[in-house]
Amino acid sequence: MTALLAGSRAVFPSSLGAPRLFAGLDADHRALDLAGHVAVHGPLPSADLPRLVGLLDAVGLSGRGGAGFPLAAKLRALSAPARRVVVNGSESEPASAKDRALMRHVPHLVLDGALAVAAAVGARRVTVAVHDEWTATALTRATGERVDTRTVRVHRTGDTFVSGEARTLVRELTGGPALPPGRRVHATERGILLANAETFAQLAVLLRLGPRRFAATGTPDEPGTALLSVGGAVAHPGVLEVPLGMPLGLVLRHVGAEPSDTVVLGGYHGAWLPTDPALPLSRRGVDAAGGSFGAGVVLVAGSQTCALGELARTADWLAAQSAGQCGPCRFGLPALAADVRALLRGHPAALPAAQRHAALVDGRGACSHPDAAARYVRSGLAVLGDELNAHRRGGCGRPVLGVLPIGRTS
Amino acid sequence: MKLELDWTRCDGHGVCAQLLPDRIDTDEWGFPVLAETAVRPEQLTAVRRAVAACPALALRLDNTRARPGAGGSR
Repeated sequence: MTALLAGSRAVFPSSLGAPRLFAGLDADHRALDLAGHVAVHGPLPSADLPRLVGLLDAVGLSGRGGAGFPLAAKLRALSAPARRVVVNGSESEPASAKDRALMRHVPHLVLDGALAVAAAVGARRVTVAVHDEWTATALTRATGERVDTRTVRVHRTGDTFVSGEARTLVRELTGGPALPPGRRVHATERGILLANAETFAQLAVLLRLGPRRFAATGTPDEPGTALLSVGGAVAHPGVLEVPLGMPLGLVLRHVGAEPSDTVVLGGYHGAWLPTDPALPLSRRGVDAAGGSFGAGVVLVAGSQTCALGELARTADWLAAQSAGQCGPCRFGLPALAADVRALLRGHPAALPAAQRHAALVDGRGACSHPDAAARYVRSGLAVLGDELNAHRRGGCGRPVLGVLPIGRTS
Repeated sequence: MKLELDWTRCDGHGVCAQLLPDRIDTDEWGFPVLAETAVRPEQLTAVRRAVAACPALALRLDNTRARPGAGGSR
C-alpha cells in the first residue's frame, strides 16, 4: 500500500501516550476554535525575553525544524529587537505533514507561541509561511478569532523543496528570490526571528506547563513530545505525537507497519537505517544510530517494494530539487542519481562512482542540500547491501511500488 | 584570513585553479575543489590575484573568524 502524506489530503493527528499539542482533539479531528483552545489549554501566561529564554534553556527545547537548532540560541543571537517573527510552516519536505496538522487542527497553539515571541523580542510583524490553501484558510480563520493578531500575515510559499529552507524563505519574504543566498547570513542578522511551526507550539505548551511539568514526559536530555510524520508501507499513516525517546518498534506497531528491514528516518535529508525496534526516537537516539531525526519523518519501505528502486526514485527527486545555482549540486546530484539507477541495473562500477560523487558534492554549495542529499543516498547504499548483490545477479524480483512519497499534491 | 567561495556565482571558469594549482583543483564539471581555505600572510598576494581574476567574482577573502554553523533550519 502506498501512503502519501500529500498537501491537500487530510492528515490524521493522533498520539501515543498523553497528547499535548494534540490535546483536546475529538475523533473527527475538527479544528479547535479559540473557545475550545482556551478550554483545553487554559490562558497563556505572558513572559518577557529573559523569562522566555530561561524556560527554553531549562528544558533544552530543540527546534522542531530539520536542523533542531534551539530557539533559545536564536533569541540570544538577536543583538537588537527583531523586526519580524516568521513561523516556518511551509513544510516542503514531501513526507512531512506535522506542521500542516498543527496549523489545521490546533492553530491557536502555533499563534500563541509566535505572538509570545513577538512580544518578547519587540517584533511588530508576524508572518506565518504555509504552502497549501487548506492550511492557509485554517490559520486565517484562527487569526480572525483573536484580538491580538492584527499584525499576523499568512504567506503562501511555492512548490519547491528549497522554498521551505529558512534563509530562502527569509529572502523571499524580504523581497528577494526564493533561492538560498550565496553567503551564509543568518536570519537573526537581518532582524528576523524564524522558527518552525511546531517549535512555537511546543513553546506555547511550555509557557503554560512550566519546565517541571513539561519535562514530565520525554527523556532527561530531551523532555517533551515530538510530532512524527509516519508513512510509507503502513496501515495508518499520519502525524503521531509521541514522548521523545519512544522506541521505534512501538511506533511501527501502532501504525500497522509492514515488516521491513529498513526505515528512513528524517526524510530525504535524513538516513536509511536498519529497522531496530529498540531505537529511541529522539535526536540523541537517532544520532547514535548513525541517522538524523530531522523533522520527525518516519518512512517504512516495507517488504513488497524494491528498496533500491525506492532509493533511486528519491535520489532522482533530490537531484530535481536542486535550485540549480551551484555547479557541484546541479551536476553532482543528477550524477549520483544516475549511479543509483545504474546499480539498479546491476553495474558493479556504479558503486565506487556513487561514493565518489557523494563525497564530491558534500559541502560544495550555498546550502545544505547537496550535503544532506549525499548523506541520504550513502546511507541507503550502506544498508541495502543485500539488495545491491541481488541486482548485480539480475534483480531482486520486486517491483518499484513508489512507497516513499515524493512531490506534493496541493 | 579565509578564502571564501560564493557558489551561486561560480560558473566553473577554472581561472582560480590555474592561478593557485597547489590550493585549488577542479572536479569533473570544472568546478573548484578547495583543499584549504585558511590563507597565511605569505600567501596573500597570490590569493588576492586569483580573487581579482575570477570572471564571476565568486571568490572573496574573509577577515572574520568562522561562525559556528547553524545549519539550514526548517
